[in-house]
Amino acid sequence: MDSGALDPTLTRRDLLKAAGIATIAVTGPQLATRPAEAQPKRGGTLRTTVIADPVTGFDPHQTISFLTMVPLSFAYSRLVKVKAGPDVKPMTYPVEADLAESWTQPNETTYIFKLRKGVRWHPKPPVNGRELTSDDVKYTYERFLSMKNNGNRPVLESVDKIETPDKYTVKFVLKEPNAWFVDMLASTSTWIIAKECVEKFGDLKKAESVVGTGPWMLERWEPNVRLYYTRNPNYFVPGLPNADNVDVLIDKDPSSRLAAFLAGKLDFGPEYQHVIRRLDLAVAKQRRPNLQTVEYAWFTSGSTGFKVDKAPFNDVKVRRALSRAVSLAEIFESNAFSQGHYVPNPAVPAAAAEWSIPIDQLGPEGRKLYEFSTAEAKRLLAEAGHANGFKTEVEAPGTGYGPDFLDFVQITVKNWKAAGIDADLKLKEYGAFISSTIYGKFDHMFLGLRGAWTDPESYFYRWFMPGQPLNVWNINDPKLIEMIKLQRRTFDVAKRKQIVYDIQRYLAENAYFGVDGSVKVVSAWEPHIKNYMPNNGFDHGGRMMAAWIDK
Amino acid sequence: MAKAVEIPVREPIAPPLRVPNAAVRLGRLTLRKPLGAIGALIVVTLILLAAFADQIAPYPYDESIAGARMKAPSAQFWMGTDNLARDIWSRVVYGARISVTVGFATVALVTLLATAIGVTSAYVGGTVDIVVQRIVDAWMSFPALVIVLSLLAALGPGMLNLILALAILGAAGTSRVIRGATLATLQHPYVEAARALGSGHLRIIVRHVLPNVLATIIILATVALGTVILAESALSFLGFGVPPPYPSWGGMLSGSGRSFMYHAPWMALCPGAAISLAVFGFNMLGDALRDVLDPRLRGAGVRMRG
Amino acid sequence: MRTYVLRRLIIAIPSLLIASLIVFTLPRLIPGDVVQLMFEEKGYGKDLEEMRAKLGLNRPIPVQYVDWLGRVVRGDFGESLWTRQAVLDQVAQRLPVTLTLGFEALVVAVLIGVPIGIVAAVRQDGPLDFVARSAAILGLSIPAFVTSIVVILLPAIWWGWSPVTTFVRFSANPAAYALQFVLPALILGTASAAAIMRLTRGMLLEVLRQDYVRTAWAKGLRERAVVLKHSLKNAVIPVVTVLGLQVAQIAGGAVIVETIFGIPGMGQFLVESIIQRDYPVIQGINLLIVVIIVATNLLVDLTYAMLDPRIRY
Repeated sequence: MDSGALDPTLTRRDLLKAAGIATIAVTGPQLATRPAEAQPKRGGTLRTTVIADPVTGFDPHQTISFLTMVPLSFAYSRLVKVKAGPDVKPMTYPVEADLAESWTQPNETTYIFKLRKGVRWHPKPPVNGRELTSDDVKYTYERFLSMKNNGNRPVLESVDKIETPDKYTVKFVLKEPNAWFVDMLASTSTWIIAKECVEKFGDLKKAESVVGTGPWMLERWEPNVRLYYTRNPNYFVPGLPNADNVDVLIDKDPSSRLAAFLAGKLDFGPEYQHVIRRLDLAVAKQRRPNLQTVEYAWFTSGSTGFKVDKAPFNDVKVRRALSRAVSLAEIFESNAFSQGHYVPNPAVPAAAAEWSIPIDQLGPEGRKLYEFSTAEAKRLLAEAGHANGFKTEVEAPGTGYGPDFLDFVQITVKNWKAAGIDADLKLKEYGAFISSTIYGKFDHMFLGLRGAWTDPESYFYRWFMPGQPLNVWNINDPKLIEMIKLQRRTFDVAKRKQIVYDIQRYLAENAYFGVDGSVKVVSAWEPHIKNYMPNNGFDHGGRMMAAWIDK
Repeated sequence: MAKAVEIPVREPIAPPLRVPNAAVRLGRLTLRKPLGAIGALIVVTLILLAAFADQIAPYPYDESIAGARMKAPSAQFWMGTDNLARDIWSRVVYGARISVTVGFATVALVTLLATAIGVTSAYVGGTVDIVVQRIVDAWMSFPALVIVLSLLAALGPGMLNLILALAILGAAGTSRVIRGATLATLQHPYVEAARALGSGHLRIIVRHVLPNVLATIIILATVALGTVILAESALSFLGFGVPPPYPSWGGMLSGSGRSFMYHAPWMALCPGAAISLAVFGFNMLGDALRDVLDPRLRGAGVRMRG
Repeated sequence: MRTYVLRRLIIAIPSLLIASLIVFTLPRLIPGDVVQLMFEEKGYGKDLEEMRAKLGLNRPIPVQYVDWLGRVVRGDFGESLWTRQAVLDQVAQRLPVTLTLGFEALVVAVLIGVPIGIVAAVRQDGPLDFVARSAAILGLSIPAFVTSIVVILLPAIWWGWSPVTTFVRFSANPAAYALQFVLPALILGTASAAAIMRLTRGMLLEVLRQDYVRTAWAKGLRERAVVLKHSLKNAVIPVVTVLGLQVAQIAGGAVIVETIFGIPGMGQFLVESIIQRDYPVIQGINLLIVVIIVATNLLVDLTYAMLDPRIRY
């Protein structure tokens, strides 16, 4: 069995190992002082929070929102998952088996998955604890690919057909080689769903239709108040989950979430991904002694959109000036989450630690993009024939992304202006912004956020391949296309990494995007929560299932 | 008794005969209505701040002052600085522009619309009046927030759109009151006399109806100013106001003002105080004007235990 | 009386119809319709029309309107386009919450506003009147969101503590349920109290000058008797009207206060549904609010009629 990490014995050994690896990152007395033999305790309730209701419904094939995917992560499983636990360093995403027992790849385009035997669905109507079979997998992914409004469809786009040679075997045949296929299967939109639910409810939007094979069952959703989960008695990993219940408070107000955390009503940090704002860190450490914390960069970052096939941004010098005019330091200085702690992002965000190229390995021109200099920006503009700068217009959502985003917008626009790029700010309502601007329906520029994906490839594939809806830049560069296609066919990880680095160098050298950075966030959890480690990604359930409460 | 309405109306409108007379009157009024005087003082200050913001504000509203991030109020920064190291006092001064502009423009628009609707509906009467009033009924019973949010979502945030949305919202209720005042005026014998003498509709409206509803209009407008400024700040608070970096009080209070409120409370408290003070000023002034212009509410009418 | 009620009801119908038409049309004019939002960050351009057809959104708005109205009359308010929860179920969960908040706020408003208004009128232009009026205008001037923030912020600054606003359901703990509204109700209520106080004062002043009150004075009745027995009843009539208007105002203020205090009521629900372009929900809630406001106005008129004998049935 190669799913050893789910075996409790190994988990404890992993914990020991983690104490060695992660001492720099992890603070708190537990890892250093507690004897590793401590037996996990069963029972209790894990108390956490989300920042809004699953407003888009519970159907994983009809939304890409984290507000849906995070709640689903407690109740569903998938064939393979991103490994979790204290031995997994944040910002790395190793894949391990989940519902699959093992898998093989007989040729470049074929994958065969062997399922665990005896996996049972939640004992809830309409599925009532029947056994999971390969037909469920086939049904799920055929629905995944056929639902017209599934925004995650590109995740499995390369699948040609799915076959079920027997009850416990699933065979995927791809249209073309895709080295990322298993990583894609481990993303958090690929939950295996039950046919009965779709048949009974029409779709999976309702809370009652959340029936999975995951560690907990969704008992109830009280809109605006909480999501409440209870233990799945049938869970396929013996002994897990450790906690009986998960109580997810829904609280939209940051200060009220913080107040709840400081009052000891939450076991995990009050922001998305259990983060605690740097601004509140001192008071949190004082009020919650021995708080455990870990620092890592998250995926989310600002993004600047423009069209490279239209003046003035068809001139690489103007694009370079745009980046050099921006002071990332100033942006992150004022931010409540970062308070000066940030990482600059190449095309693949630094949060994908194994795939993001270090800035100092970029080409000479690419590196310079990250060196803030108003004077250099002015010089570049003058060289491009804009000695007196130019006027333009920038669109941004005025609602939806919160005050930190608006601060980022204000500083960026101010920085540009200082260098001579006088951008008139046009704020749009969030709904209007995401339904038009980010698909390229803008005249000059936009400022938004990026970071919805946890796989590295989407950051260049979906953004820079011609024909992709999010290629707002209208980039159609044969050399780039060739490299992107090549890395998909390269199964050797080290070689693929080199190509991905080359792609990032090429993108930076041509200044095909505006520079941005991500916050180095701090995730926090109470000292009585053991065997837990935060990471990027929506799989909160997967990371919390082996955690236990020492009280 | 009914005719009493027309007498006081003339008073403030008629040009003063001699300047000292006006000054003396103003002084007397101040003594009699100290609250109103305070209100007037606040309103005048507000208008001055808005008009001379460039001269009064020590810093540009969007300038990040090096080394002055989130400083507490001090002699250099009267209201402290925000997380982007901007001087809050300067931002509050520039914010007055938004409040004053949106306030006066909206009220002007509301008054124009409401007077047109109210007077016409009452004057024409009959079926037209019934139909118009049913529409006004519906408009008034429609939840205000939905209209404004929908309009702003459709038009996009921004000052002009804000003014339009608020004006459309305010006009219905105001027109109802003006219609009432017009109806009362129309019953007066001199209107009938004017009709009998063959005056045209326009002449009757301009010469007889409008002067008599003017007091009502002025009172409504002054009170409305406070309400509009309040509404503007609430909408800015919800993120539908004037876009940053231009400062609006509601916007300063909602965004970063709120997320930094434990660490830099002045970021939220100063614009909050500014909103409250401005609305307070308009309400005080409105109250005093009402007392002066509406004789029925004039003091000294009853002496208890006298 | 019955004909009066009937007539008022009939008059209310066209208003309701117009309001429902506005309720129906306005959200559909907002750029970025629900289908586009559902395809958020996806952009399968060709599928949008298909989806619209499936949801019936490709038909002309008047056809959609008549269809919707027909179903509403049969009691079918539809379900959320996003979560597929029945609009009526959602409303049934959230309306009591907002009603509790609104009721507590109204109680606060009346308890503060009416007595102070009486005192201010009786002691017109005296120091008490002065203080009461300044306080009232101040109360009217400080927006609920400023008060809310100050109420949360000050204890945090002074004692390093701020109220934890985790919502408690009625079924979980009825006492805690009622108690959690006290703070927001006080904030909402004070703003309305100011308006009620001003009106009570104004109306009472007017009544106090009426001939019959002078007669009462002349008869040598005591102040309390004159004010409370002879004057107040008449002064209360317009106050009832304003009370009706305050319902609408409290409903408006509730949106922000609900957001700040994390109360799962109608206000938040509505703002969210507008952002989400969830037409059935927007329509459902709005229609309900409109009905409530029209009903309140009707009730106010009837109360008015009962209190004032001059009004004919």
